[in-house]
Amino acid sequence: MLQLLKEVNQIIKWHELLWQMVGREVKARYKQSILGYFWVILNPLAQMLVMSFAFSIILRIPTNATSNIPYSIFLFVALLPWNLFATSLSSACNSLVMSSTLITKVYFPRTILVLASMISKLVDFVFALSILIIYMIAYRIPVTLNILWIFPIFMIQQIFTTGLSLFFAAANLIYRDIQYLVSLALLLWMYATPVIYPADLVPARYKLIFQLNPMAVIINAYRQTILGGDSPNFVSLAIALALSLVTLFIGLSYFKSREKVFADNI
Amino acid sequence: MATPIVKFTNVTKRFSLQSHKTFKEFLPALIKGEETSKQFIALNNISFEILTGETVGIIGPNGSGKSTILKLIAGVMSPTSGTVSVHGRVSPLIELGAGFHFELSGRENVYLNGAILGLSQKEIDQNFKSIVDFADLWEYIDQPVKRYSSGMYMRLAFAIAVHVHPQILLVDEILAVGDPEFQQKCFKRMNEFKKEGVTIVFVSHDLSLVRKFCDRVIELNHSRMINPQ
Repeated sequence: MLQLLKEVNQIIKWHELLWQMVGREVKARYKQSILGYFWVILNPLAQMLVMSFAFSIILRIPTNATSNIPYSIFLFVALLPWNLFATSLSSACNSLVMSSTLITKVYFPRTILVLASMISKLVDFVFALSILIIYMIAYRIPVTLNILWIFPIFMIQQIFTTGLSLFFAAANLIYRDIQYLVSLALLLWMYATPVIYPADLVPARYKLIFQLNPMAVIINAYRQTILGGDSPNFVSLAIALALSLVTLFIGLSYFKSREKVFADNI
Repeated sequence: MATPIVKFTNVTKRFSLQSHKTFKEFLPALIKGEETSKQFIALNNISFEILTGETVGIIGPNGSGKSTILKLIAGVMSPTSGTVSVHGRVSPLIELGAGFHFELSGRENVYLNGAILGLSQKEIDQNFKSIVDFADLWEYIDQPVKRYSSGMYMRLAFAIAVHVHPQILLVDEILAVGDPEFQQKCFKRMNEFKKEGVTIVFVSHDLSLVRKFCDRVIELNHSRMINPQ
């Protein structure tokens, strides 16, 4: 806990560097492509169309039984936060290795590199979110005040992502295999999370595994609050929060314990 | 004036050179019981002090630990044993422009690199004109850095680094690059720093240059100091 406060304090002290780093990633990524930020929108849109075709027209996966929400929206509500999680984690995982020249030369809090890559993915996410909002308005999806729950849910997701990112970014400096391992794990993890299918399809004997998977709880909670108009399942969410905090503490303390030898290991 | 600004006490730096960077190499080695890391001693029990305002040269052959000393002062590495204490803002001129991003313009890179060296946005705003003047790059400042020649690149990087207003300036062989005119400019600036009382740690192969420029020389050989104080 003390470690976390210390680190937050350091980051506040260096916040200008953090924003510069975020700016660097965001500006540099699209500077050379003609369509620029359009790619950020095009990418999930294309993904959604193809997956919708595969899973609603060919496989006919049912959406939540009560409402007749089109599968594409049902999918998109889960796919966007999942993509945020997956892209944040994989880019954070590479963030230290990518900046290895800096790490061996200048001192600044190393957590900034991890955070900057996560925040730049957040920028992409906000752009992609605009399609979802337009889509939901076009289809006149009713929402209730329960939609406000997405903010605490989102916080839990970011806590979980930060913990994992810190851990794997530090580990990847020691063994470069970690980045491949992470991308494989993310691929499998998506199928273990109710992104393309509704959570109620999961057989009862596997429910426990889902409750222990914070991403499953988080993704399901987005759907319940945005599309179902319900409040989230608080017990599951509390478990997810607890697991996310534990992940953050483990991730940060591993990161800090390795930080001293980062420059030696590159 | 006589307070030590940098103090090394019995500093030893060992690297465990990891001989296996991937699982593919690491796992078989682990199973066969081979050593998974090799030890390499970069600095062996070194103690010295640098006083405020001194200009100290560090010389020695390749691999004698010169750059490791700079990295320890910069806080990038920590010693295996012993203590390193540094009081004051350090500006490293170690391999200039490490934080440059090639796709971004010179202007954007000034802000980025300034932030990396610990300058605030406001400080960079105030110094921007003077930085570009020093680098003499007004014409190209909004071009992406990837279009710069290596000389221009160095000029910009050096210009940013000397505007950090450091208390300790670390210089690592950088003056070998750039045209003679710019080198003159750099030495002029470093002499000004000296007059202002900035502590300078200067690493070079060039003994005559070091003798000319520095108050005192620390000689390293095989991770040890040749001339203990």
